[in-house]
Amino acid sequence: MKKSNILLGLAGSLILISLVAWGYQIYNGLIVTNMRNSFSWGLYIATFAFFVGVAAGGLIVSSTVYLFNIEKLKPFTRIASLSAFASILGAGAMILPDMGRVDRIWNIFVYPNFRSPLVWDVMVISAYLLITFLSVYVQILPDRKKEGSRFLNGWTKAHSQEEVEAFSKKWSKRIALVGLPVAILIHTVTALIFATQASRGWWNTAVLPPDFVSVAVASGTALVLVISLLAVGKEQFDQHKGAFQIMALIVAGSLVVHFFFVSVDLIIHGWWGSREAEEILSLIFGHYGYLYATELLLPAFTMVLFFTEKGKRSYRALMIGSVLLFIGVFAHRLMLMFPAFNAIPLSLSIPGAGIESWAYPVALGQLQEGMPVFVSSWAYMPTLVEYGVTLLPFGLVLFVVTAALKMYNFLPQKPFM
Amino acid sequence: MRLGMVIDLDRCIGCRSCAVACKSHNAQPPGTWWNRVFTPGASFHQAAVGKDGALQMEYLPVSCQMCDNPACQKVCPSGATYTDERGVVLIDYERCIGCRYCIAACPYGVRQYNWEDPKKAKARAGYEKGYEYGYPADFRDKDGRLVYTPNRPVGVVEKCTFCVQYTSGGEQPACVKGCPGKVRIFGDLDDPSSEVSKLVRKRQTVRLKEELGTSPKVFYLAATKLIR
Repeated sequence: MKKSNILLGLAGSLILISLVAWGYQIYNGLIVTNMRNSFSWGLYIATFAFFVGVAAGGLIVSSTVYLFNIEKLKPFTRIASLSAFASILGAGAMILPDMGRVDRIWNIFVYPNFRSPLVWDVMVISAYLLITFLSVYVQILPDRKKEGSRFLNGWTKAHSQEEVEAFSKKWSKRIALVGLPVAILIHTVTALIFATQASRGWWNTAVLPPDFVSVAVASGTALVLVISLLAVGKEQFDQHKGAFQIMALIVAGSLVVHFFFVSVDLIIHGWWGSREAEEILSLIFGHYGYLYATELLLPAFTMVLFFTEKGKRSYRALMIGSVLLFIGVFAHRLMLMFPAFNAIPLSLSIPGAGIESWAYPVALGQLQEGMPVFVSSWAYMPTLVEYGVTLLPFGLVLFVVTAALKMYNFLPQKPFM
Repeated sequence: MRLGMVIDLDRCIGCRSCAVACKSHNAQPPGTWWNRVFTPGASFHQAAVGKDGALQMEYLPVSCQMCDNPACQKVCPSGATYTDERGVVLIDYERCIGCRYCIAACPYGVRQYNWEDPKKAKARAGYEKGYEYGYPADFRDKDGRLVYTPNRPVGVVEKCTFCVQYTSGGEQPACVKGCPGKVRIFGDLDDPSSEVSKLVRKRQTVRLKEELGTSPKVFYLAATKLIR
């Protein structure tokens, strides 16, 4: 009980810090970030993509239960749905501070342009938010009736406890099955925001959407795994070993698929040997080599660890592997931005001068003493304000998960089904 | 009507008068340029490039390419970017939500964001207090959409409008009028007798990043007389 209060306090302060930073940003404009015209998306969009990714876990885990009849995972469907709801809420919240005119956000709904992948994303993410909320709601319904909770629960008064439990069981399954394609869609569509843009060679590949799905299955399941491990604790670890092993296997298996996509992508980028591709490859292996190594090596380590007998049977190994995976996936999301924006699309060849690729300089959008106005690359590093604002989804996820675990029974020791 | 522009690179002397005229007529805040002129291959403008002692120096002005297939317009979630009945790609400053998707989408790097309030940017850059430049009044299209205002709202994207405040009344854009070498020719590509149509028909033209399928309405007449 005390531990959860500390966590709630921590979540509250994260949210508070982020709101103050966001307020400061609204007052001054996005000039307080380190984004500029040549590097127009940064930490916010990367974090958004990260949270969309980890939101997958919920419905992947619950639908695995129903589609493949894996009983062992059943006790964790509540936690899975909760993690999905919290994550997608965090993703949605993260997008708001990136809007320069968040006060006009309603324009997306009043004048939607249905050719824009961003509008598709708003639709599928809203749908997912609703589905995951309903999924949590129907699963905790019987418990809430038992304890006589009335909020959003009034209609169950006329029904018996057995009827409500039957309802909960039936609709949990239905929602999980409807939710699965939507879970796949949020990653596909989020990836399409990037993949549709032929101006950015690093994004413009059909492998991006399936790769997003594979990374999402891995990182989303890892989040469910971490929350479940924390919820049951070391004492009851052995009791649910089977479930954790299955989750570890899902993580490792989807990482295999991810690395397959990464390899194919790199071969396609590299083989033809165009100047644009060479520039991107030199950016990812050269200038951003450390970040790219983080993106590749940490998840690779987790993959191997989760395949080993020792790895998937140990509480600590599962925890460490998942955390390393999160860091790797976050690096993956950051690496969506760096090579894409530092390869200027308008590059020209001047054969007479022996120059194959020359980037046409872009105006930064800011005049500052001692700094050029026109650049052909921008060493983007988030500012303190950006880090502050980015705490918002972390605070929200922590708050929602902790509060829900505190208020309702999400723990598997009292299975309701 | 499909308004377009032909840029004759043989005539360009790289003086950047077009960029300056554009900037001042359209009240662009410090650090924002709708129109740029650079020397391809050179690390700074007006420097020769070459190898084996054979030097050359060409100039390339770049502003909005007014694509017939504009990626910026297709990605815009709120329909703030649109193509008007004259084929001009415009931004509604009251509709833009500042998501900057269009900046990521544009292959030409012409879209500029208002990272801060233009008035604050001018004060910070040390401009004399109260000094205002550019076309002084708001301009709205026939549907009342705000496509020009001297001080843009913070947090919206802006770019070349083919000087909508002038050209919708039949005048020429500022860059065309301000060019001392008559490099830029502006007109209706749908009118076969217009000068732009004739040039596009008769001369060898190049469009930037044509391979991306954006179908720009800005055509370049390739430089034939190399400045060596």
